[in-house]
Amino acid sequence: MVESITAIVTSLGFSSIESFLGLIFLVGAVIGVIVVIVTIKPVLDTFPYAYPNARVRARIGRLFTEKQFSEIIEADDLEEVKNYLRGVPEYAQYVDKYPLEKALDTQLAETNDLLARIAPGSIKPVFSALLKKWDIKNIKSILTAKEVGLSREETLDLMVPFGEISESLEKLVDAKDVTEVVTGLEGTEYAQVLEDALNDYKEKDMLLPLESALDKYYLNNLIKAASNPSDDSTTILNNYIGTQVDSTNLKIILRAKVDGLKYDDIQPYMITKGYQIREWKLKDLMEAEDVSGVVSSLESTDYSSIMAEALAEYNATGSIAPFETALDKYIITMAKNLSTKKPFGVGPIIAFLSRKEIEIKNLKVIARGKREVGFPVSKIKEMLI
Amino acid sequence: MVEIALGTALAAIGAGVAVGFAGLGSGLGQGMAAAGSVGAVAEDPDMFAQGILFTALPETQAIYGFLIAILLMVFGGILGGGTALPVEVGLVAVGAGAAIGFAGLGSGMGQGMAAASSVGAVVEDPDMFSQGILFTALPETQAIYGFLIAILLMVFGGILGG
Repeated sequence: MVESITAIVTSLGFSSIESFLGLIFLVGAVIGVIVVIVTIKPVLDTFPYAYPNARVRARIGRLFTEKQFSEIIEADDLEEVKNYLRGVPEYAQYVDKYPLEKALDTQLAETNDLLARIAPGSIKPVFSALLKKWDIKNIKSILTAKEVGLSREETLDLMVPFGEISESLEKLVDAKDVTEVVTGLEGTEYAQVLEDALNDYKEKDMLLPLESALDKYYLNNLIKAASNPSDDSTTILNNYIGTQVDSTNLKIILRAKVDGLKYDDIQPYMITKGYQIREWKLKDLMEAEDVSGVVSSLESTDYSSIMAEALAEYNATGSIAPFETALDKYIITMAKNLSTKKPFGVGPIIAFLSRKEIEIKNLKVIARGKREVGFPVSKIKEMLI
Repeated sequence: MVEIALGTALAAIGAGVAVGFAGLGSGLGQGMAAAGSVGAVAEDPDMFAQGILFTALPETQAIYGFLIAILLMVFGGILGGGTALPVEVGLVAVGAGAAIGFAGLGSGMGQGMAAASSVGAVVEDPDMFSQGILFTALPETQAIYGFLIAILLMVFGGILGG
């Protein structure tokens, strides 16, 4: 046996069996390394998501079920809704501390804060950018409070204690007017954004330019954070953020078209770099004559069919609510599908955030309904997402 | 310098491949399951026992690799002063080591991903425990195939019982 192996090895041109084995092992080692690298790469990509996904899925399990929502809707009044929420650890800590709407917002902000802390490095910038939403909400609340003359306590009741500027909120609340609020933000990233829009505010004597500048800054920041996808998860996140931008742009254009506004009026409020609606397409949409023109211009995008379906209802009612609902549902479905499409990556995190936002929106709808005495339960059910 | 026959040196390579690759797969899988379990326990401390169970499952591949490596070392003349192996038997030892090594690598990583996902499913819905265990156990089969073939190679290749 050994002789026959030696004969074969010698006939291949090797001087000894040792040199032949040496070559075989070298080739084997190279193949082994390639196999290991190819096999391990996908595992290493999903590795950082194991911890956050487990935490997120634990929280998905604690989201309200349809049955629990039915029980909350059947509550006799707002106090009964609060009592229900006192039995849920996530909400209990805030319900007695703050007014209900603020308690719900604080819970959502805490969720954003958690995700920004536990998100893997490659997607962390996006979740940190999402957290800025609470800074922007707080600044907007202070600006509105100054405009309508709310008291210090009333204004503080609107503040959500999360975000990067949460510690300097009390100082901002003490500002005398809108201009002083903007000055008080000196040293933060929001100062320049608001200063650029301040003249417009003074000219028009309305908060819209300031609010719009903040919204635009928030979304641009979000796009920037998601703009360099390096793997499947970051690409998915980039597409998801882009779709949200598309939806925001479409809602603004549709509202503007109902009010008969033209390209020049709408253009300052647009955010470029969406997912499917690029700059040239946005121009087409803004130049459309009316709402049905906007819907026709959407052909060749994924929004075409859902918007065409909503058009019939718009024609019957004259309200753009069906379009807004259709776009919201599109994003919700997208988030839900991502969870199954990318179960070992960012999917469960996006799905959880989307479902948590819906839960908070629905609880706010119920709270508003219960605040009005005699508001029908059936009406509340209709308003839920 | 200790004189080692070429066949014995090949058995040593087989032992290294067996425990090295099986341990790599097992380690990656267990790390993934452990990361998921820590996340689950952070949200729900009652998940500790289930977390430990799911994390322990991808350990088996390393055990199979370790067993084969020990057998190769003992019967290959490295441990216990056994007789040196001929070259062709040494090649069989490399095959046995590669069988459990690579099977353990794939099986360990697959089981780790399934375990991490199952921990997430159980912490979301505790009724998913038995299904989670079942799905996590499935990728064990590849390691068992590798282990069986390694044993058969050793038995019929003249390393064990020969």
